[in-house]
Amino acid sequence: MTAPSPLATALKSAVLLLFFGMIVFPIAWMMLTAFKLPRDVYQLGLGFTPTVQNFGIVFEAPWNIGLRIVNSTVVAFFTLAIAIPAAILSAYSFSRFEFAFKRGLFFLMLATQFIPAVVIILPFYLMFRDLGLLDTRTGLVIVNLAIVTPFAVWMLKDYFDAVPIECDEAALIDGASRLAIITRVVVPMALPGVIVASVFCFILTWNEFIFALILTRDKAVTLQVGLVSFRTERGDLWELMAAAGIFITVPAFIAAVAIQKHFEAGLTGGAVK
Amino acid sequence: MPDRIMRYLLLVPALVIVLGTTLWPLGSAIATSFRNWRLKRSPVPQGWVGLDNYAFAFEEPEFWNALKVTVVFVTLDVVIAVAVSLGLALLLRRAGVLQSLTRAVLILPFAMSPALIGVSFRFMFNGEYGVLAKGIGWLVPPLADVIWLASPGYAMAALILSDVWHWFPYLTLIFLGGLAAVPVETEEAALIDGATPWQTTRLVVLPQIKGVIAVALVLKTIFALKMFDSVQTLTGAGPGITTQTLAHYVYTIGFVHYDMGHASALAIVLTAILVGIGIVYTRLVMPPKVIAR
Repeated sequence: MTAPSPLATALKSAVLLLFFGMIVFPIAWMMLTAFKLPRDVYQLGLGFTPTVQNFGIVFEAPWNIGLRIVNSTVVAFFTLAIAIPAAILSAYSFSRFEFAFKRGLFFLMLATQFIPAVVIILPFYLMFRDLGLLDTRTGLVIVNLAIVTPFAVWMLKDYFDAVPIECDEAALIDGASRLAIITRVVVPMALPGVIVASVFCFILTWNEFIFALILTRDKAVTLQVGLVSFRTERGDLWELMAAAGIFITVPAFIAAVAIQKHFEAGLTGGAVK
Repeated sequence: MPDRIMRYLLLVPALVIVLGTTLWPLGSAIATSFRNWRLKRSPVPQGWVGLDNYAFAFEEPEFWNALKVTVVFVTLDVVIAVAVSLGLALLLRRAGVLQSLTRAVLILPFAMSPALIGVSFRFMFNGEYGVLAKGIGWLVPPLADVIWLASPGYAMAALILSDVWHWFPYLTLIFLGGLAAVPVETEEAALIDGATPWQTTRLVVLPQIKGVIAVALVLKTIFALKMFDSVQTLTGAGPGITTQTLAHYVYTIGFVHYDMGHASALAIVLTAILVGIGIVYTRLVMPPKVIAR
């Protein structure tokens, strides 16, 4: 191969730098805004007096971000605690067994992702209204299962497929039950995959907006919907939104970076192998 | 327990969840779409009205507006996001400091919530003090006086830009995964045979990742069709209803006007569009073995 010309290399570097800036800049700008006083929010220079007062204000009434953090965390935790074990069991069955309508059933799981959230929420809103589940975390967990479970089954089946079936057979000969094989052989061997699927589902649930917007008013409001309340009759309180944004992004960023290496391999692997 | 029973038993929890949280609501929404049910007038469903809700939907200019907005948004959004991410993925293949730096931040926008992205871009596209509005105005002087979110075309542009920003780094990750499987030898051979780098990319590399490109197109199209979160938090469907997508229109009829029958009919129309595209794409691009091996 001929060496590329210096001009081409410089151009390539410039384009890459531009992309890097495009990705990082909006995040950095919002994070900086969280440390600004209201008077500094509207100026574009970097010469502002940093403050942490916004992080205190958002915990006070009427913002109560502490409660929002608890709500978001509880909803994400219970959604995963139900979805992941259920998905592990059925992903194992899809991975190891042949049965009637297997392809149809698996396709059905994926096809549910074509149903838009507004369709799912209409009947649930009406049902929760009758059952008194509006504005509860329980209600949010139930609807969040709809978006998380099929994804988890899809991803986990792929990771389980990569575990040699001989491992199951060896355990069967030793007299292990199927449940024991799942919990003591396949899940430990596919643990990185189980973690990737869980983190992916965590991000989906944590960032979920439309369900919480429609189903919650006060007690069960999540961090995402809490953002809307910073739009007041006094105008948008950008510095407080940005401070709340830090609480939203930091857990998701930590989770995403932790699995970044596997993310790439996992998702494309599932789709095009 | 024998495997013959176990194989079905293991499926039960996830199937119950999926049926209960997606197919039941779908069925229920279909039933409601044939009824007259305004929540502001009656807490219980009123009479059956046949196809009236559907007929009414197709007569409304707001429906056709939302359909047009959705088609414009999806087309531009998908084309731009996929083209940009494919280009970036090709640039990121080789090792280098800038390459690894950029690769390291690719996951961040995807982990950010669409609601927060909408809020952030609304701040940054503010006509008076938005850093992006000012920055773009400085780079392209004719755009300096544009009040982005108050002008129909520019509000749509801001919506597309924010969604492209959310998705292109993630799509780049998908393409990098696909490119990693392309053997370097095929390119080297083409270059030795005298092909230019551009010819090599177009005729040798890209055909080998056709499948990945197709999957990226499907994924992006489906998510773009469902677009709601940042419509709500960035433009609020405005100015007027010039950026109101179908999903946002269903939301407005259902949860601002509380007309359940009408909203259900619209929701079913949106689902039909999504399922239609889903089936066509699945047939077109996904080999059957992907669905179940």
